[in-house]
Amino acid sequence: MPWGTLLAGCLAGTVYLAIFAHVAKNSGWLVGQGNVRLAFLPAAAAMSFVVRVPFRPLTQAVPVPSWVTPAGHLLLAAPILAATCWAQLCIMTQTIPAQTLGHPPAVYPLLAQLTGWCAVAIAAAACVARSRYADLGGAIGAPVSFAVITLASFAPITSRILVEPAATAHTVTIAWYAIAAAATALTCAAMRDQWQRYSSDVRSLLPRDRA
Amino acid sequence: MTSAGGARTVLDLARAEASLLVRSLLVLAGLLASGAVVWVLFGSVQPLWWNAAWQIGFGQLILGLVVLAAAQLAAGRARREGMADLYTSFPVTAGTRTVAHLASLAGAAPASLLLTGAAAAVVQARGAIGTPAITVLASGLVLVIASGAAGIAIGTRFSHPLAGVLGALALFITATTSHLVSGAAIWLVPWEWNQDQLSGLPGPLAGYPPAGAHLLELAGLAVLAGTVALAVTAGHVRARGALATAGIVALAVTCLAGALQLRPIPTAGLDHLVTETASLASVQHCTTANDIRYCLYPEFGRDLPSLEEPVNGVLARLPARPSHPLRVQQVLTLDLTDLTYGHSKDQISQWRAQLRNARASALTDTAIYLPVGSWPAGGSQLTDANFAVALTTAEWGVRIPAQATGNPASEQFLPCVPLNQAREAIAIWLAILATRPSAGELQAGLSSGGHYLGDEVSNTFVPTWTYPGMTAGYLASSGFAPQPTAAGYLLAAAMVSLPQQKVSHVLASAWGRWLNWHTTDAQLAAALGIPMPSISTLVPPPPPGQTTGHGPGTGPQSPQSPLCTS
Repeated sequence: MPWGTLLAGCLAGTVYLAIFAHVAKNSGWLVGQGNVRLAFLPAAAAMSFVVRVPFRPLTQAVPVPSWVTPAGHLLLAAPILAATCWAQLCIMTQTIPAQTLGHPPAVYPLLAQLTGWCAVAIAAAACVARSRYADLGGAIGAPVSFAVITLASFAPITSRILVEPAATAHTVTIAWYAIAAAATALTCAAMRDQWQRYSSDVRSLLPRDRA
Repeated sequence: MTSAGGARTVLDLARAEASLLVRSLLVLAGLLASGAVVWVLFGSVQPLWWNAAWQIGFGQLILGLVVLAAAQLAAGRARREGMADLYTSFPVTAGTRTVAHLASLAGAAPASLLLTGAAAAVVQARGAIGTPAITVLASGLVLVIASGAAGIAIGTRFSHPLAGVLGALALFITATTSHLVSGAAIWLVPWEWNQDQLSGLPGPLAGYPPAGAHLLELAGLAVLAGTVALAVTAGHVRARGALATAGIVALAVTCLAGALQLRPIPTAGLDHLVTETASLASVQHCTTANDIRYCLYPEFGRDLPSLEEPVNGVLARLPARPSHPLRVQQVLTLDLTDLTYGHSKDQISQWRAQLRNARASALTDTAIYLPVGSWPAGGSQLTDANFAVALTTAEWGVRIPAQATGNPASEQFLPCVPLNQAREAIAIWLAILATRPSAGELQAGLSSGGHYLGDEVSNTFVPTWTYPGMTAGYLASSGFAPQPTAAGYLLAAAMVSLPQQKVSHVLASAWGRWLNWHTTDAQLAAALGIPMPSISTLVPPPPPGQTTGHGPGTGPQSPQSPLCTS
């Protein structure tokens, strides 16, 4: 289990948010959900490294199914991720003055969004792990998930259902959980897959009689 | 190994690493992303080089993020793949390999130059005003190199790919949190993107941004990062001493560059800017065409034809002109607060007083004010802007006054509504004929997101019409301009379907009557021989127990818009 990677990702964002909250308090700014989103990006990036199993060829040879190891990694990472999210939300709420009028924006769409981000990052890494670039699963999965997040937030078509205020809180929540469910299904399929994929036909590289 | 042999090794390694960097999918994807970011930043407005060059620099920051990650992956490759011991057994030292990695950053230059070239071509093709500042564009290239150097510094110490991702995010965060600082401090981050006022300047302002000092800062940071990378891998004590000296010098240069950026903008430049804002007549080039006075800043002379077209289109159909003249004028909507750092309080008060007096006198004039930096480059946005100019000209032509209640800075600022006034429909008809926008776009202004918008006038819900370009801010006077009504638009649309000669004849035969604000839409429709278009479908039925037709979201306590009178 890559504890160091996971903790580095979770702590980096949380420390950034704590520093930002301190500076913002002195500058008269508030920490909003946008800052929490930004602070959660390192944790989402770290999740794309969690799914990797360094000794997969070995684990495939033992009686235990090969998907057990990455699934175990994800299960262990889930509470860390939840704690990070809770800590960051606490930092955000501490900067909101008590005498603020009105209700703060709902948190449940944000939770859905962050869940969706993590699921996309994991799915991207799990898919890359089934390719010839398995060693770079996280390194590719993280930028890919950032690209997906950016597109989802700024592309006119997707932003209408995935970003407030263009979409309602309910719509955002349903849409991101749907994405998370689809990404989880993709991750499961990738983790169960036994074979790495090669882009070129390896048989063409072999002598004709052996091919 | 001889020094010549070492140099050759460095060159060979650098060439190989640069080739990998050039062909890196990550860098290519970053190039596409940075191009998309620059495109979004350009928006639809006419590009101004003194702003566009800085926006291209933000695109370079996006490219720099991926170059940082790619360079970190390259520098950490040996340790990440468990080959460090094998590499140690080679004659080439770790320090030599790091030098080669740093030299290989030349491989990021083609992507950076390509981005600059493509963005410059787009800017020129869209009719850019001004000339590009080479120092600002060069700063973008240095930013990419500095990011790569930082990536190598990270990679030599931390080989895990997440370190590169975190480094890139840290760099990105510096740009996204620049709103926490103000004044000259915004230039201290590698690249700020949303705190400057470059888009509202009528020309380049010396010392804003402090491009030379910023270039020096980025170069200092690049050298500092390179020194750190070499220090991590250097084996000899003597080399470490030299690197420490180099690092201190680089740090000193960076700090010096930072201090230079914190200097106030030269007073002469700001003086000129305030004069450009307050004493428009002394700096703008004014021309009179068709008895309309057009006053534009010297750099913006090419915009004159696109302004004359909608105005002349309205004038050609106007039976008689008002006695008071019309002026079309560019204005600056600058906030001095972010420009006057480091200046004396007396000087700032003097500038503020100048601006206050100028604004007070401007509000009393009859003019179409065009904020600098908001005129579109072309396409449908230009059509919308032309319609906005044409409608304002037509409202001047039919004497609809620019009345409003409240303070422009407050939420209770409400422009007047020409409710059931024939002259409003005439103005809209004139603007439609002058610019010919698409019927679909005009019709779309009746509703927003499936809901009809409206104002409360005399406790009655009045459906309003949002004309093309109304909310885009093409005109600085939009807040004061009358709020068009849906009924006025529907009647104007019906008038457009009639032969133009017939309508012109009816209008010219009793022009004085149509200008009277008591003359109603129904009277105009009757004179034209057409039924008054019904707006009953736009007004929701009143809630049970209420007699007046309040609209959705409004109520008895809703603020009341004034009626356009006189």
